[in-house]
Amino acid sequence: MSLWVDKYRPRTLDDLHYHHDLTARLKSLAASGDFPHMLFYGPSGAGKKTRIACTLRQLFGPGVEKLRIDQRVFLTPSKRKLDLNVVQSNFHIEITPRLVLHSRTYLPRSSCIYTVNSEVGMYDRVVIQEILKEIAQTQQVDLNAKQRFKVVIINDADTLSRDAQAALRRTMEKYMNNMRIILCANSTSKLIAPIKSRCLLVRVAAPSSEEMHNALEYVAKREKFDLPPEASQQIVEDSNGNLRKAILVLEALKMQSPDLSGPLSIAKPDWETYCHKVADMIIQEQSPQRVMDVRAKLYELLSHCIPATVILKTVAERVVDKVDESIKADIMHWAAIYEVRMRQGNKKIFHLEAWVVKVMSLYKHSFYGIDLDDFEE
Amino acid sequence: MAGPRAPGSKAVPEPQCAEPLAGLAFVFSGELSSFSRDEAVDLAKRFGGRVTGQPSSRTSYVVLGDDAGPSKLAAIKKHNLRTLSEDEFLQLIATRNPGGGELDEKTRKKKEKEQDAIREGAREMEKREKAAMKEAKAGSVGSAKAVDTSTQLWTVRYAPQTLKEICGNKGQVEKLLLWLQDWPKSLKSGFSKPGKNGMNIFRAVMITGPPGIGKTTSAHLCAKLAGFTPIELNASDARSKKLVELVIDSHKPNQKTNAAGVEISDKSCLIMDEVDGMSAGDRGGVGALNQLIKKTKIPIICIANDRQAQKLKPLIATTYSLPFKKPDAAAVRSRILTVAYKEKMKIPANVVDQLVAGAQSDIRQVLNMLSTWKLSSSTMDFDESKELVKMNEKYAIMTPFNVTYKILGPYTFSPTSRETLGDKMELYFHDFSFVPLFIQAPENYLKTQPVKVRNLAGPEKDLKELELMDKAATSISDGDLVDGLIHGSVPRVVDLRSLICKVCRSEQHWSLMPLHAVLSTVRPASFIYGNCQQWLGQNSKQNKLSRQLNDVQVRMRLKVSGDKSEVRQSYIPALFPVIVKPLMDVGASAVDEVIDRMDDYYLSKEDWDTIVELGVDQNKDELVLKKIPAATKTALTRKYNSREHPIPFHKAQDLGKAPKKIAASEVPDLEEAFDVDEDVPEEVVEDDQGEDEDVSKDKLIKMPKANKGKPAAAKAKGKKG
Repeated sequence: MSLWVDKYRPRTLDDLHYHHDLTARLKSLAASGDFPHMLFYGPSGAGKKTRIACTLRQLFGPGVEKLRIDQRVFLTPSKRKLDLNVVQSNFHIEITPRLVLHSRTYLPRSSCIYTVNSEVGMYDRVVIQEILKEIAQTQQVDLNAKQRFKVVIINDADTLSRDAQAALRRTMEKYMNNMRIILCANSTSKLIAPIKSRCLLVRVAAPSSEEMHNALEYVAKREKFDLPPEASQQIVEDSNGNLRKAILVLEALKMQSPDLSGPLSIAKPDWETYCHKVADMIIQEQSPQRVMDVRAKLYELLSHCIPATVILKTVAERVVDKVDESIKADIMHWAAIYEVRMRQGNKKIFHLEAWVVKVMSLYKHSFYGIDLDDFEE
Repeated sequence: MAGPRAPGSKAVPEPQCAEPLAGLAFVFSGELSSFSRDEAVDLAKRFGGRVTGQPSSRTSYVVLGDDAGPSKLAAIKKHNLRTLSEDEFLQLIATRNPGGGELDEKTRKKKEKEQDAIREGAREMEKREKAAMKEAKAGSVGSAKAVDTSTQLWTVRYAPQTLKEICGNKGQVEKLLLWLQDWPKSLKSGFSKPGKNGMNIFRAVMITGPPGIGKTTSAHLCAKLAGFTPIELNASDARSKKLVELVIDSHKPNQKTNAAGVEISDKSCLIMDEVDGMSAGDRGGVGALNQLIKKTKIPIICIANDRQAQKLKPLIATTYSLPFKKPDAAAVRSRILTVAYKEKMKIPANVVDQLVAGAQSDIRQVLNMLSTWKLSSSTMDFDESKELVKMNEKYAIMTPFNVTYKILGPYTFSPTSRETLGDKMELYFHDFSFVPLFIQAPENYLKTQPVKVRNLAGPEKDLKELELMDKAATSISDGDLVDGLIHGSVPRVVDLRSLICKVCRSEQHWSLMPLHAVLSTVRPASFIYGNCQQWLGQNSKQNKLSRQLNDVQVRMRLKVSGDKSEVRQSYIPALFPVIVKPLMDVGASAVDEVIDRMDDYYLSKEDWDTIVELGVDQNKDELVLKKIPAATKTALTRKYNSREHPIPFHKAQDLGKAPKKIAASEVPDLEEAFDVDEDVPEEVVEDDQGEDEDVSKDKLIKMPKANKGKPAAAKAKGKKG
């Protein structure tokens, strides 16, 4: 009774629907016995983790699918306790260093009003050092195992702090005998060069619309219903190369209208409609009062765990759709600038709001036909 | 814009007499052309006038500059007040001579009365001193109390001896006295009768207030007046848990002295001074004190500066709060004048006012300042007092509220303001972690009505306002980048455009704080200063939700490949119609199906709550929960609890206390990790004790590691063999 996206996830390299040349390469790598460190990168929903899982299966056999989650507790040098959830099988271990949590720490009073970093990003180094060493120092004990090494998968590798990445460098070379590392990231831009040079880079591109159609049809066939091409077309367009999203949407649509015929309205996720509301508010009125209302909404989105970049992107796209041709470029220009600043700074809301005010100012000025003289930085 | 059109262009005139403005009350409004507001107020005070903030019927003159506030203009009309321009004001200083009949009867009488009171007070002091001397001489030679008053500090010599002499907080002091007098009765009745002030159900009170306003003095005085013998324990006494408990023990009949070696009778009163100073050495002291308060047989008065302090939390419930305020300048003035008269110093009233204001109404400090001054001179004029205040300036830490109010208010940045950039940055440093947040809080920087747009109207005003806001917001955003360099730890892309990022790439650049001050606080404020209202930003629950989302993601991980944000953005909207909507539409009969679905993804009931809580817009948790009937909700909870559920993992906490460091020992697989868990609890206990006694030792020895490695290794061997 899982959702379709999980039910029909390919389990072996042979089942994969697209990127066949990549599949072939992975297969020969797994067979070669000389498996390198790897870095999978590509957009969300392109199939990175699916491919990693398939490769592992190819390497170790069905045993890797027996997963369990284990909670580890670490002690930082400053005596704080950290919890880390580790997904592992007998042959591999998967960690998400950014998802380390404090346990039983008493936050200072100031944090109840504002928080600088919600996750304990700065401790990922400790996790990397401890876990990797632990695994690296022990050999594979199962004599029947196909490979002599274990695999460590590091999720969200692009969110690793510089310290943690530096901690990886030497370990990757030193313990090559016992361990291979597979990094999984959305983009390589935040990984330091030494890491990249130690890995085989594997780009998992988003599927083309053709490939997505095929995948959707496959799901439809297995679920025993007919997928009209128009519906398929609409879903593919809506999901923007994210196959996960496409299949989830397909299932939601199927629940809504079982025959999938006639004009379909794809229900947008709650956060997306909310972002659109924010965009509409910006265009409707430009005043300090309105900035405050917008900010309340932005806070709500942020606090409900929608990443700030996603908010900025969604709102900006919607605003650009609605405004006059002449200021579209400027709005996107500033959105890009504030997106960078968001990554550099600590408090997302400052930059989001600065952008909102900027857009309001731009809009108002163009409305009255006055150029903002200093819009170039 | 009203500018400092000619700052300093007009000279201060030479008055005909010492205090030409005596008996007059002034209100200033708007920008003067030659003097800043502060200077003008100073002038009025120097020449004997009074300055109030808002015009009332008792105001003599309103000095109007450019851009006077509309509310003040309305008040002028209402009370039919006389107004002056800047020039007329200077003229008034130059020509007025209230010496003769000009000073009206009432004012003169008032002045005389004041003088009489001062003389009376001084005489009384004299009398008391003489009596004390006599007693000392007459008393036995061994009397320790025989101290020559002239060798005493002024603060001791002129400490109030009667209730009447305490400056300010009269109501609170009376309450305290009443409570002490009723104490024996309250004890007999078991603290069940609230009494007149509702205080008699408390065994202890807590006096809070800024330093130097007579908290300790009042406590002692009241205790004496109510017939108690005060025992004072202050920060110089050790007040650790053990010692405080000793005090409790001393209530046992066979032991009559406490830790401080003072005899305790039922006529004793314990004054715990500087409770918020119970720290480092006084481990557990506050908790023990709280225990003591709960069963004390003698009244306890606690004294602290900051009632909000985290440390004092336990005491809030058990003590009656008596907040002391800074006494108003008038109350302090008469007292100080009396002392000055007694010491034969010639100090005019406006000078005393200046001193009191400069010391933030800290009577103790004013007295100390005067006693030092007395050594070199026995008179003081206005300018000297200013200098003295400046020398002894007390840096009161302003709260972020006040800082925000000050920096966003109309005056800090007005063209005639004399505050330098440094002064403004100083405001940031009052609380550098909070002030920027307060500035940014929308309620502050967006709600101000910028002075800069005051003269504009229509679309022009809107545009300008937006532009200013834009600049302010950009500056705040700049500030955050700098903040990232100071506190941040995220790897950052080096941005060659800005100077800041060239410097950076790492963290903890504390030297950038002044820059942060300017960008986050001073610069935004310089754009949008104006009239502001105060409001505190809302509490963000992001942390909590983010943590819960982590849990959800971890649980779903076995089935789902997405990371945290994918789970939020794609899965939760997709799961919503499956595990929440049926409950809304179908009701209780859908519960089984929903639970099956949840089990598929290893979701617990808490995770279900999280998923609902994470919804926004039409899926907002309040809306959703309203639509699910209460019966369905309870059915879900009951059914969920009654069934068995697959659990994908074990939590370390499930096995007692968390191990210190699993990763440190060589643990090849899971089962042994379990064993290690079980070994741990005793170790942790040991460890805690060690910490209590010697923290540094604990750090060096690393006992747990040695302990842990062995059993685990031994077991591992056993299993393999």
